[in-house]
Amino acid sequence: MPDWKQLVRERLPEAESGLVDELAEHLEDYYREMRSGGVGAEEAYSSALSELDEIYPLKRSQRMSKEHRLPVGDDLWRDVRFALRTMRKSPMFVVFVVLTLALGIGANTTVFTVINTLILNPLPVRNPAGLASLGTDASKPIPYADLKDYQAKNQVFSSLAGYTSPRIVTFAADGGSERMFCELATGNYFSTLGLSPAMGRFFSTDEDGTVAVLNYGTWQGRFGGSSDIVGKTLRLNSGVFTIVGVAPQHFIGVNAIMGPDVWIPAGMMERLMPNEMKNALTDREKAIFQGVGRFKPGVSQTEAQANLGTIAANLAREYPATNESRKVAVRPIRDAIFASASTGSSAVFFASAVLFIVVGIVLLIACSNVANLLLARAAARRQEMAVRLAMGASRRRLVRQLLTESVLLGILSGAVGLLIGYAGLHFLFGMLPSASNFITPKFDATVFIFALIISLATGFLFGIIPALRASREDVAETLKEESRTAGRGRKRVTLANSLLVGQVAFSFLLLMTAALFLRSIQRAYDIDPGFQTAHLATFMTNPGQAGYGKAQAKAFYKDARERVMRLPGVASASWSSNLPLWGRTVNGLEVEGREQRPKAEKITTILNTVDRDYFDAAGVTIDRGRVFMDVDRENSVPVAIVNEKMAHDFWPDEDALGKRVQLPGEKQMRQIVGIARNANYSTWAEPPQLCVYVPLEQNYSDGMTFYVRSKGDPKEILIPVEREVRSAAPQILVSGIRTGRELVDGGLFQAKVGVMLLSVFGLVALGLASIGLYGIMAYSVNQRKREIGLRMALGAAQASVLRLILKQGMTLVLTGVLIGLAASLFVDRLLSRMLYGVSSSDPVSALAAVIVLLGVALVACYLPARWASRVDPLVALREG
Amino acid sequence: MPPESEWKKGSAELLVLSLLEDQPRHGYDISKLIALRSGGALRFHVTSLYPLLHRLEEEGSIEGRWVEKAEQRRRRYYSLTDRGKKELLSKQQSWKDFVAVIKQVTGIEHA
Repeated sequence: MPDWKQLVRERLPEAESGLVDELAEHLEDYYREMRSGGVGAEEAYSSALSELDEIYPLKRSQRMSKEHRLPVGDDLWRDVRFALRTMRKSPMFVVFVVLTLALGIGANTTVFTVINTLILNPLPVRNPAGLASLGTDASKPIPYADLKDYQAKNQVFSSLAGYTSPRIVTFAADGGSERMFCELATGNYFSTLGLSPAMGRFFSTDEDGTVAVLNYGTWQGRFGGSSDIVGKTLRLNSGVFTIVGVAPQHFIGVNAIMGPDVWIPAGMMERLMPNEMKNALTDREKAIFQGVGRFKPGVSQTEAQANLGTIAANLAREYPATNESRKVAVRPIRDAIFASASTGSSAVFFASAVLFIVVGIVLLIACSNVANLLLARAAARRQEMAVRLAMGASRRRLVRQLLTESVLLGILSGAVGLLIGYAGLHFLFGMLPSASNFITPKFDATVFIFALIISLATGFLFGIIPALRASREDVAETLKEESRTAGRGRKRVTLANSLLVGQVAFSFLLLMTAALFLRSIQRAYDIDPGFQTAHLATFMTNPGQAGYGKAQAKAFYKDARERVMRLPGVASASWSSNLPLWGRTVNGLEVEGREQRPKAEKITTILNTVDRDYFDAAGVTIDRGRVFMDVDRENSVPVAIVNEKMAHDFWPDEDALGKRVQLPGEKQMRQIVGIARNANYSTWAEPPQLCVYVPLEQNYSDGMTFYVRSKGDPKEILIPVEREVRSAAPQILVSGIRTGRELVDGGLFQAKVGVMLLSVFGLVALGLASIGLYGIMAYSVNQRKREIGLRMALGAAQASVLRLILKQGMTLVLTGVLIGLAASLFVDRLLSRMLYGVSSSDPVSALAAVIVLLGVALVACYLPARWASRVDPLVALREG
Repeated sequence: MPPESEWKKGSAELLVLSLLEDQPRHGYDISKLIALRSGGALRFHVTSLYPLLHRLEEEGSIEGRWVEKAEQRRRRYYSLTDRGKKELLSKQQSWKDFVAVIKQVTGIEHA
């Protein structure tokens, strides 16, 4: 007689002895009966044993119990292998979960990489915390002469350096002229930052020769990373510079967004700057340097501020004409890092925080959806859990097994999410101009660690509740099929319902805001900027950089204009010192008959030097008076045209025509001969600014932008005009060739990026919410199968069941939409100042968002509803 | 799912409780009776039967105890408790109600 107890125990070591005894008795009974029925011993034995062996939950328990005796590593490995097997059994479920989570993790990885690049680690230098930025109290640059004084007299910095913003210079390459960005830097610039060159050397402390340090990206991109670059020469403007070194990778200057292609010693100012800046090394009016200093050990920002403030006060006493009321400010280096992000570092932090919150919510939505799916699935696996618990597996053991599964899903999603994140970055940074001197995303180890942590956390987050719930099912309750309709099931649905309402509200909010911005951008194109864009083409030139003197340059302007005017498609052409929406401002305009203002209150105005016919070519209307004409010559009466705002602000009750103003740096008053309509000078749809136009003949500039008004499509004249300008002067660089439409596109760039991000996240959120809606509806239909079956058995028509389920789902959706609508009224009010000509409660946007959302939700509800309407009453009732 | 297994799933408790109504029985006896009385249509695996018995015992519907009779092996007999008797009554009633509903709807007189 076989030892049944031993056999059972071998297979079920976890089972309590009572159960083992019973099973053994059962098998023995079975065996004896077979034997007495005439079955052979061998056959009866294996038949009895197969009762035990063939049954899968018992086998599982047997495997599990073996694990208990193994070391933890093996234990984990077995859990993982078991989880992988479980996942293989339901590939669709895995794909669903992984895609959902990967979207969330990918979005977070993208945003985190941006934050990693911009905020966590924007300046790849030694100990960035020890650095401070130095500028005026309004974060404006300081003059070189002042910087020298601060360098010499301060007691708080171990080293203080200065640098300019990137300036455009003409680089004479083999094939012709190219544009390069160049930063002037003091000799101690690189040593103050604590950098080591990737190649060659940096400037020596008192370097002011014709040497250059290349940006790493420029070296790689423009010079193919050639190893013998050091010692080569660069022709920049009219000077020749010897490359002495290459800056380290990822360093693009103190400003984190955009840097120069090349650094040149500050002493080379005269060779590289436009003529009005030639004396910027000595003139205390010409402020173009930002300071960056490294604190001496133990010095605080406050102490540094006090020390520098004293020096500034002394300078103001010493040079009252220029330095009166000029203040200096020591700031954290991050303010300089985001200096060109027009609104400074706080805006970057704010935008990052908003983005991070948005993607965080997207991930939470993904987690809650997956948790719902797992809950529904746990219901299907309850039998399995119950048997394992009955056979003595501990609850901890089961929770760990289930968590292994969900964490594994999380890691898998993390891997896919990294790919999505990487694609997202390409997409995001692909919108920046593809130049070597722009910021590049740091997709580094920090990002990988972030993605790993977030994946593990995600797996834990969506796994823990279903795992605890599934394993809590005690043997008694689980096999009791009727428990399905217990109150707990309803509570579960209620929690899921509120989550779903929240998701719908959130995706509605995003969609609504995206629609609002989209409409706002459409409207923005209809705004009249005060100049014409439909027939405009612009071309930037810089004869000064090509070594042209004043007479030569003036001849070039005239020649180019006359040549282009002869082209068939051209209506008019002229020169202007300002590119549209890139207006240059000057500070210190004086109005005749007014008291001299103190330095700090001087009038700031847009100054535009223009050639004749400018107002026709640019389409700026002259309301009164006249345009500039050939009679306005260098030695005739100095004249100016001002805009409506200036005329209105300074002469509200008088005629501005004939009044006189004085530009900073000029000795004579200019007579106002015309009043021009207000236009947008710096940004699209800006509030009116003061503006003064002066004739080119009376205010020479060695770099001008060519404005051409076309008769037809401006695209058609781009090439002929460029050809004519080049043939007028082959060595002059023609850059920034754009049509009016492209200029507007550029002006609306930020708004467009905003719309795109909002739309993408809105659609992702909507997609996730639909998945969630589908999951909940399917689960609830499954739970209510019995009720539905009964309804149908009692005569309910398919259509009415369909309606019932649709109503249930759409009630949730409508609740979410209402909440989202309320929230959007609040949030969009915050955004209203960024909107062009659309009120924050725009009904069309709201309607569009509602239609999109309801459409998608209807589909997500319809599928389970149709399924419900096809329930076979007989089957449903039996199952229940 | 074949109808037989679904049917069995929903009514396993009713079956077990009914078999214990008139006398205590052991597990093997129960499984054999179910197979016999259903003409072999229903069979319980040991892995579903014993967990079910233990669960019913934990719930207090049945009571198991080891009995050693002369010339017989030691076996665990299960008998209905008072609570089990009530449970059985209510299950029988709801089963009757269910069958009645089905009859009403379908017009089948002899299910």
